[in-house]
Amino acid sequence: MTSLPTSLSAVTDVTSSAPPERPHLRIGYVALIDSAPLIVAKQMGFDQRHGITLELYQQPSWAAIRDKLLSGELDAAQTLYGLVYGVQIGLGGPQADMAILMTLNRNGQAITVSNQLADQLKEGQSLRAALKTLGRKPVFAQTFPTGTHAMWLNYWLAANGIHPVSDVESIVIPPPQMPEALAHGELDGFCAGEPWHAVAEHNKSGRTIVSSSQIWPDHPEKALACRREFAALYPNTVQALIRAMLESCQWIEATENKWQLSTWLAQPEYLHLAQDLIQSRLVGRRLDDENAERGSNLPIRFFTDATTNYPLPADGLWFLSQFYRWGLLKSTSDWDAIVNQVCQTALYTQATQQLELTLEPTKTTEIQFIDGQIWDGHDAVSYAKQFTINAVS
Amino acid sequence: MLRVLLINDTDKPIGELCQTLIENGYDVLPLVATSRALSEAVKQQKPDIVIVDTESPSRDTLEQLALMHSSAPRPVVMFSHDADQHLISAAVGAGVTTYVVDGLAPERLAPILTVALARFAAESRLRQRLATVENELADRKVIDRAKGLLMDKRKMSEAEAYETLRNQSMKQGMKIAEIARQIIAMADLLT
Repeated sequence: MTSLPTSLSAVTDVTSSAPPERPHLRIGYVALIDSAPLIVAKQMGFDQRHGITLELYQQPSWAAIRDKLLSGELDAAQTLYGLVYGVQIGLGGPQADMAILMTLNRNGQAITVSNQLADQLKEGQSLRAALKTLGRKPVFAQTFPTGTHAMWLNYWLAANGIHPVSDVESIVIPPPQMPEALAHGELDGFCAGEPWHAVAEHNKSGRTIVSSSQIWPDHPEKALACRREFAALYPNTVQALIRAMLESCQWIEATENKWQLSTWLAQPEYLHLAQDLIQSRLVGRRLDDENAERGSNLPIRFFTDATTNYPLPADGLWFLSQFYRWGLLKSTSDWDAIVNQVCQTALYTQATQQLELTLEPTKTTEIQFIDGQIWDGHDAVSYAKQFTINAVS
Repeated sequence: MLRVLLINDTDKPIGELCQTLIENGYDVLPLVATSRALSEAVKQQKPDIVIVDTESPSRDTLEQLALMHSSAPRPVVMFSHDADQHLISAAVGAGVTTYVVDGLAPERLAPILTVALARFAAESRLRQRLATVENELADRKVIDRAKGLLMDKRKMSEAEAYETLRNQSMKQGMKIAEIARQIIAMADLLT
């Protein structure tokens, strides 16, 4: 790990960077713990420190975020990592050239199942056997067809020998509706962000049996994204935005700030939920030991000495590999070109240099997934083709 | 008759819209108010059009249905408060499924549905044509490979190889590409 200054703000010299071309930015987000960097930037005034004013607009759906980014109603937004690539290659909707400015967080998602399933798993039954006892097609919910949760859910099901396309019904419903749908037996499980698992456990609607970090340790989750044209037209604005977000991310990770953060997130204009529910998911926690699958359960990361946020092209390749695996993407050409154009590594690096955060780009190391497979960031097409459970036609 | 499904999960009133749709001869399916009900309704009742507010939390559910099931209804027509007819046609023309209309103004709905559907029809024709071209290209590759095998193994000229494929095709009443696939499969078996 690279050694870093302990505080970004201490070394920030905002006067040294070129003034932003667009001082007012309209930023979209979906109410989740993951939206903390945007909310903190606003509450702490990190935006103002870098010469921009953020106007935050909560969105009711990821589809709304996408459409408003494309129409120019939003300048930038917190998005699901995979969604950006879905739009880039035009999966199930309009195609547009997109830009990922930085990774906003890693980890912090989970899969919660019904109490009945959780009991069976606790008794040592395999997931496959437990789902068979339902006597019908299991129903799992996630958040967006090309999003992160769809991919975590698919990967986890396949790792358990269950075909996510043919063996289960995978539906999308808004995360706030998931705990209730689970309680009513309309779902057998769901994969989404927090605090919706905290809500489900609090209401005793179900139990969380796997965290997303057990599927892929330190996986990318939410991205700060905009249209590529916007990044090209307003490079100084975009860099100011990245710097404000990095300051937020660093602030969030300081233990002494967690309480303040959960107070803000709990407010009616943001998550509108009990503060202790939110607080419980800001700090790492152990899953019920007997239910916990192998692999480490890592806390949500927003900064971690600035190793969290680099817009790593290899992360994008992984999403393309899974789109291919599940039959959404047919083409295997130009994957490297696609991700290199989406990931704004040059803008990000410049922005961090202005913060005197000179970092080597995060090195892609060998990552072991929940099924034991290794992803090393190279030869994504061969990686995509080696999964025995797949939906490649 | 067009079967229309309305999603009623924002606070915008849609009673008048329903009424106008019925008066204009549309088959309006029972309203759905939750995302879970939406999934079921689309599967069971197979609507031709789904009308949903731009600010509806159910929009991601529709994204999933549209991407995962080719039989799912499209386009998805959405409404919000600002009115601008230009925006509407521009958005539809560009293939964007979102456009804006004066807060659910029913008298504007019929032509919009027509335009949206026409756009969808054009898009699916284009998709079909692309699929045909892709198939033809794949067939040509297979035929070339089979010709190559015949030229290599049977010492035929290219013209003779093609003639052989064509004769077999006529004899067996199969497409040349099918015969070529058989030859390649056999060659793979024998090597």
